[in-house]
Amino acid sequence: MLKRMTLAAMLSLGVATGALAAGERHGGTLFFTAPYGSSFATLDVQASPNTQEEFITQAIHRALYSWDSHDNKPVLELATSEDVSADGTVHTYHLRKNAVFHNGKPLTADDIIYSYKRIANPKNAFPGASFIAIIKGADDYIAGKAEEISGLKKIDDNTLEITFTGPFNPGFQLMQNTVVIYPSNVSDESSFGKTPVGLGAFVFKEHVPGSQVVVEKFDKYYEEGKPYLDRINIVLMAEDAARDVAFRNKEIDVSVLGPTQYQAYQGEEGLKDHLLEVAEVYTRNIGFNPAYGPFKDKRVRQAINYAINAPLIIERLVKNKAYPASGWLPISSPAYDKDKAPYAYDPEKAKALLKEAGFADGFEFEVTASPNESWGVPIVEAILPMLKKVGITVKPKPVESSALGEAVTTNNFQAFIWSNLSGPDPLNALRCYYSKTAQSACNYTSYSSPDFDKLYEAAQQERDPAKQNDLLRQANNIVQDDAPVWFFNYNKAVMAYQPWIHGLVPNANELAVQPYDDIWIDDTAPASRK
Amino acid sequence: MLRFTLRRILQIIPTVVVVALLIFVIFSVVPGTFASSLFSDGKRAADPQMIARLNEEFGLNKPVTERFVSYVTDLAHFDLGTSFRTRQPVIDLINDRMGASLKLAIAAMVFAILVGVPLGFLAALRPGSILDRGAGAGAVRVPSMPLFWRGLLMMFLFALQLTWRPGFGYGDGSFSTLILPAITLGVTPLALLARTTRAGVLDVLNADFIRTAHSKGMSEIKVVRWHVARNALVLIVTTVGLQFGSLIGQAVVIEKLFAWPGIGSLLVDSVAIRDIPVVQGTILVIVLWFLVINTAVDLVYAAIDPRIKQE
Amino acid sequence: MRLGFNFWLGATLTALVILAGVLAHWIAPFDPVLDADLMNSELPPDATFWFGTDAQGRDVYTRILYGAQISLTVGIVSQVINSLIGITLGMTAGYWGGWWDDLVNGLTNVMLAIPSLIFALAVMAVLGPGLPSLLIALGLTNWSWTCRIARSSTLSLKSQGYVQAAQTLGYGDLRIMFTQILPNMMGPILVMATLGMGSAVLSEAALVFPGLAIFLSVLGFNLLGAGLRDSLDPHMRTRKP
Repeated sequence: MLKRMTLAAMLSLGVATGALAAGERHGGTLFFTAPYGSSFATLDVQASPNTQEEFITQAIHRALYSWDSHDNKPVLELATSEDVSADGTVHTYHLRKNAVFHNGKPLTADDIIYSYKRIANPKNAFPGASFIAIIKGADDYIAGKAEEISGLKKIDDNTLEITFTGPFNPGFQLMQNTVVIYPSNVSDESSFGKTPVGLGAFVFKEHVPGSQVVVEKFDKYYEEGKPYLDRINIVLMAEDAARDVAFRNKEIDVSVLGPTQYQAYQGEEGLKDHLLEVAEVYTRNIGFNPAYGPFKDKRVRQAINYAINAPLIIERLVKNKAYPASGWLPISSPAYDKDKAPYAYDPEKAKALLKEAGFADGFEFEVTASPNESWGVPIVEAILPMLKKVGITVKPKPVESSALGEAVTTNNFQAFIWSNLSGPDPLNALRCYYSKTAQSACNYTSYSSPDFDKLYEAAQQERDPAKQNDLLRQANNIVQDDAPVWFFNYNKAVMAYQPWIHGLVPNANELAVQPYDDIWIDDTAPASRK
Repeated sequence: MLRFTLRRILQIIPTVVVVALLIFVIFSVVPGTFASSLFSDGKRAADPQMIARLNEEFGLNKPVTERFVSYVTDLAHFDLGTSFRTRQPVIDLINDRMGASLKLAIAAMVFAILVGVPLGFLAALRPGSILDRGAGAGAVRVPSMPLFWRGLLMMFLFALQLTWRPGFGYGDGSFSTLILPAITLGVTPLALLARTTRAGVLDVLNADFIRTAHSKGMSEIKVVRWHVARNALVLIVTTVGLQFGSLIGQAVVIEKLFAWPGIGSLLVDSVAIRDIPVVQGTILVIVLWFLVINTAVDLVYAAIDPRIKQE
Repeated sequence: MRLGFNFWLGATLTALVILAGVLAHWIAPFDPVLDADLMNSELPPDATFWFGTDAQGRDVYTRILYGAQISLTVGIVSQVINSLIGITLGMTAGYWGGWWDDLVNGLTNVMLAIPSLIFALAVMAVLGPGLPSLLIALGLTNWSWTCRIARSSTLSLKSQGYVQAAQTLGYGDLRIMFTQILPNMMGPILVMATLGMGSAVLSEAALVFPGLAIFLSVLGFNLLGAGLRDSLDPHMRTRKP
């Protein structure tokens, strides 16, 4: 138990009992949970596309940029400053001089070039390659046509110049957990999967497969005074019910809540004040395949939006653990239009629209759905009676989660229900409605609108963030009016935490994944934590 | 005896081969691929280039016959392949998890034997008593409860209400984490063992050769001990052996619930994400264990009761 | 036949489940799928909704009745499939012997070697979720014991007098099997099937995770089977010649 208070300070404050609100306490062990699976695929986080590995990445590694959850934007992490050229495509980064890897090697531009090349290497098929593709020359390297990535240039050990393919903000891509920086002086690359070495605040200690990963404080971390914790046990716990029991038993310090637990915890005295809620960047929706007869007509799609009482479903089934959706972009998006209302619940209007479109007698369609309780078969069951009232018969087509992705990306559906990424970068989110985006890439509803395309292309070229967001806002509104999907909700992520935990941040990308270097434990923690 | 043993052991081989064939066929037609499962949680937009790269790397674009041939050749060299998810050899993954599963299964069985057999004995020695009727009723009712419920009930009772710890997980592998899942899993074999022991003991107590032994003047206690024990032992060994097999299947549910890092949960997870090499490897290993245990039981049975070898 | 307490309790529970399942369509006050009104979600039991409503606003009593129907379907259909496969393979293997017998034996060994839950899991992965897939998966999984019993019964019955009489009379093989042998082995097969129904429903629970009707049905089947088995025990009845 180390308290960073000098004797003089203690005496001057005249308080002897430790738990002051202002002082971050150093020391202690955190029991964190990794709830997205019952194992870690690999410790070589560059190789893994799973969210699950990000829990390890946050402790052990760092990328060029990181996500600032309070301002909701990417910020420089491994560089202290950057110079941007007049046309916006060339960024010159001044790297931190005091950053050191866990194996003692200081950070240099070579490490970044090495890491990006490793990620983009065509022999590796790493997921981060699509993010590296924003660097000029990366496409050729990925296709095997070049030996180097032409856009990466080392000026000196602490200065790196990167030329990108456009004038956009590269922070969104280069902050991703799959493009973290590895040391370039490790000769055996397979060791990355067994004993990872990075720039993060914690050093890898041990991995018990199927159970947990343990990390310990790195003394030479580049941020002075951090991290506060001595040790973190990242425990694997995929079942909601098991986490519930463990959390109540004080065996774990945080727990991501599902809708049922959300409702339960909100009603209990000891638990309801320690809930962290954030609007995440996912839009739940039912996508319509325009190749299927009735869905060709905009009026039919709009009618479905009017016929379903989304707020009621959110209240009753999702237990208010979501925000009703108006358009595609979620509330936290900078291009969100707060003045545009969502489709109201109006069955009469729905019936009128259907009659206009020639479907007064209704029709039937299948919804391909996974078992997920928040955006799967139960939601389809809930809309069944609502659509029946306007004459439409819905048939759920249950598939396993792994088959859902395949069905949608091979255009093998009439309708599907899914939760799709819609942020944090609005330009990237609306890419899904750009007609040049392939159906299998994200434009699942084969959407194509010339008006939208015009606005989108203008936004791509626009350098002023405010003007860009306005263009995207207009584009988003077009999508809402065209209703290529039924807009259901934006996810509300909820995490319960023990009263002695401080320093958690409202990460809109993925609430469960926290940057550990800000977390500290206060005096009220049980002995096992200190 | 030796010939019998050899015959039994050799019989394992063709069975394993057919099983390997069967699972290859099943998983070559399953919908969904590993690459597509990566995008199914919607947390990142589907990247068709990445899907194509992955499918290419895993050799999933080759024709079925070619894949089958390489699968069989690998198996012949005892090579179980490489996991799609971790890119490590499947055998390593299984090794990591095998210990935990064995611990669980053995602990459950030991629990079942330690409690079930004496219970059965006592019930048989006092037929019709409250103990007997209560045990009999329990033996039928308890296995009726779906395993998932039983597990949740145990967690709720012991971990939450009585706050015995720990309620979940493997932790550092100490004994305390083993208790709850082992007991939950062991209840069904316990019930069966108690019933079987009771029936076996009763049968023997009433049998002709006991009366013969009596009339020959053997003392009461010796009679009970020797014949009853020997014949009951046969039944117990058979039941234990047979139950072990179904235990492995049931352990899957328990492992998922208690976050127990065994090969059962490895199998379920791998099926969900379509990590085919791991699925195939795990099933083969499980089947092999099952066959080995069954053969061992057969051999022990034959050793105890020579009449069996005649067939 | 002496029919004990277990048998009557089991029979009663099973009868209740069967009644509920068969008559669900007529006695259920609501439609289990369409009569869902989220405004009514999670209500406690009252005059309209005898057991209250679920999260979707559906009447729980109705769902239990239809749930009984589903459990019944799962239990019966899967056991029928099991028995059909098991009897066909076992009886023919025992009767004809030779390479066919070896083949069936090998197949049975393979099926016995794969834990049933795991095999069912694999089949369901291929067929996708849903009731028909479940029925097929369960039907394909547990026929081995029935097959063994059918085979050994056939082997011992084959040498009976009336079978050999039928053979000398020139009756065809299939006719003999179905008219002479099959009726005489129905006893143990019925017990297997009854107990198997319980196990099938339990497997359904593991594969699908739904409700209360399951517990009652399985309990019913188990007790019935236990009661049947006790009463069919050779020590307690006289054999037919």
